[in-house]
Amino acid sequence: MLQAAHISFKNSHRYLLHNVSFEVKAGEVLSVLGANGAGKSTLLKNISGELQPHKGTLIFKNKPLHSWKNHELARQRGVLSQHYQVSLPFTSFQIAMMGRYPHFKNHPLPNDHDIVKQCLCFSGIEHLADRNYLTLSGGEQQRVQIARVLAQLWDDASTDKLLLLDEPVSALDIQYQHHIMQLIRKLAVRGFAIISVVHDLNLALQYSDRILLLKNGTQVAFGDTALLNKQHIKEVYGVESELIAHPVENRKYIIITE
Amino acid sequence: MKPAVLVTTLTGILLVAVIISAGLGALSVSPLQSIAILLRQVGIHLDVPYSDQQEVVITAIRLPRVLFGIFIGATLAMCGTAIQGLFRNPLADPVLIGISSGAALFTVVMIVAGLQLFAGLFNMIGAYALSLAAFAGAFITAIIVYRISQAGGKTIVSTMLLAGIAISAMAAAGTGIMTLMANDAQLRTITFWNLGSLGGANWQSLGVLVPVCMICLVGLPTLSKPLNALVLGETNAAHIGINVESLKTKVIVLTALGVGVCVSVSGIIGFVGLVTPHIIRKLIGPEHKNVFIASGLLGAIILVIADLLCRTIIAPVEIPIGIVTALLGAPFFLYLLLKEKKTQIVF
Repeated sequence: MLQAAHISFKNSHRYLLHNVSFEVKAGEVLSVLGANGAGKSTLLKNISGELQPHKGTLIFKNKPLHSWKNHELARQRGVLSQHYQVSLPFTSFQIAMMGRYPHFKNHPLPNDHDIVKQCLCFSGIEHLADRNYLTLSGGEQQRVQIARVLAQLWDDASTDKLLLLDEPVSALDIQYQHHIMQLIRKLAVRGFAIISVVHDLNLALQYSDRILLLKNGTQVAFGDTALLNKQHIKEVYGVESELIAHPVENRKYIIITE
Repeated sequence: MKPAVLVTTLTGILLVAVIISAGLGALSVSPLQSIAILLRQVGIHLDVPYSDQQEVVITAIRLPRVLFGIFIGATLAMCGTAIQGLFRNPLADPVLIGISSGAALFTVVMIVAGLQLFAGLFNMIGAYALSLAAFAGAFITAIIVYRISQAGGKTIVSTMLLAGIAISAMAAAGTGIMTLMANDAQLRTITFWNLGSLGGANWQSLGVLVPVCMICLVGLPTLSKPLNALVLGETNAAHIGINVESLKTKVIVLTALGVGVCVSVSGIIGFVGLVTPHIIRKLIGPEHKNVFIASGLLGAIILVIADLLCRTIIAPVEIPIGIVTALLGAPFFLYLLLKEKKTQIVF
């Protein structure tokens, strides 16, 4: 769905991304991993159009990303940022309804109301629908934003949408971290392609199909989650680790050692 | 409260305020007579006796003044709503951030030096020259303040307010220089502009005011959806398909038009644009379409009533309306600052 080839981005001093290439297909979850300052968020901003790569090409649905019209792109691609500065007392429902803005002209249709309700249920916050967004906790606000991005891409006719998530679960407690990651997997099953910046290696290992490892703006590895091994963890994060068998489930588990 | 209920209530209150306001003054006209005279103008005859003198006072003096109050109040309140939406901040206001001062400075320059500097312009557009100057002043200041107060996609509130203070100070200095060059008649006009008054109301200036205000009153509500989206921040609004640059341009142009034309006919009338959207949001929430419509109505009510107070409280002396709105609005602004300090939402 999205092919990135040789993406480079520099600010005035140095390259923040250098020659990064990867691909994400419909139905896949791609986790972008790396230490602080590795260029994960910069990469996501290059894909979301907030920043323009200096070199390289981004092809989204067989069309160069920059040639998409903004309002058409908004129906195909959703972006969840790390921070939101909402200053007016909108309700959760009204914020989530903003995700439907690319779909109606002036007034939401009954269908839009239904979708927003479904999406609020999906993020587990239907009981907060009429609450003032500003009075919610950080984690609750994050789930409202997730519901909004879901509502944006919710479309019964086609499901091959691209979802960009910048640390979607960092502000959430463990229950909702897994809740949201499971939700992301469900979306992948529906046909979404998802690119997600994640900090927790085990969440990445558990829920993604492929990983992209970044270090100082360069690509260390891209491919199967098996690439998340001792050598790469050492190279990217500078820590020793062991991969052990999960005691209950049939998968690996990463522990960081001294 | 349901938005529709509020809009109906406000429309009712506005009608009552208009009828009372038309009736009160040196020559008293009963509400029934006012209604009869007003309806007579649109060809409906009621069986209510009134004198010719009453009819002349209402149609030539009070009706234009009430219409001034309605259009200026509605425009200022809607421009305040739009500016607060653009800055994503409930403390923004055309007067506080210097847009009105910029408009006033350009107007005063036009009054004092306009005939010498732009004689050709005056000949061509006549009554519109002052409005055009005010629009230019409002437009330039709006762009400057917006540019200064934005950093990393966010509004720095303190910078926004301080930039407004700086620009107001510069405009005051410029106006001061103009007063040195002005003759007596011009001085009176300048004082009038600085304090704000609806005393200049007549049918001729309504001919300038109403068309420009209508552009704002009709144009601004069409920006409701993108303004709602803008609370998510500029980049996030762009991600849901909003053309943010075009939105910013439209808000700044429409606001500059509205504030500009109001300042050019009535001077600086503060706090209506700040207070009105706040009251409305408290009642029906922040959804911009509803806030625009209800704020327009409430702004009109506030100015019609404020102007009634101005010209009746210590009659025959008239209090400039800017003084009354400042007396009511400034404490409200302090209250907002205290509230924001507590909740830490804005700062």
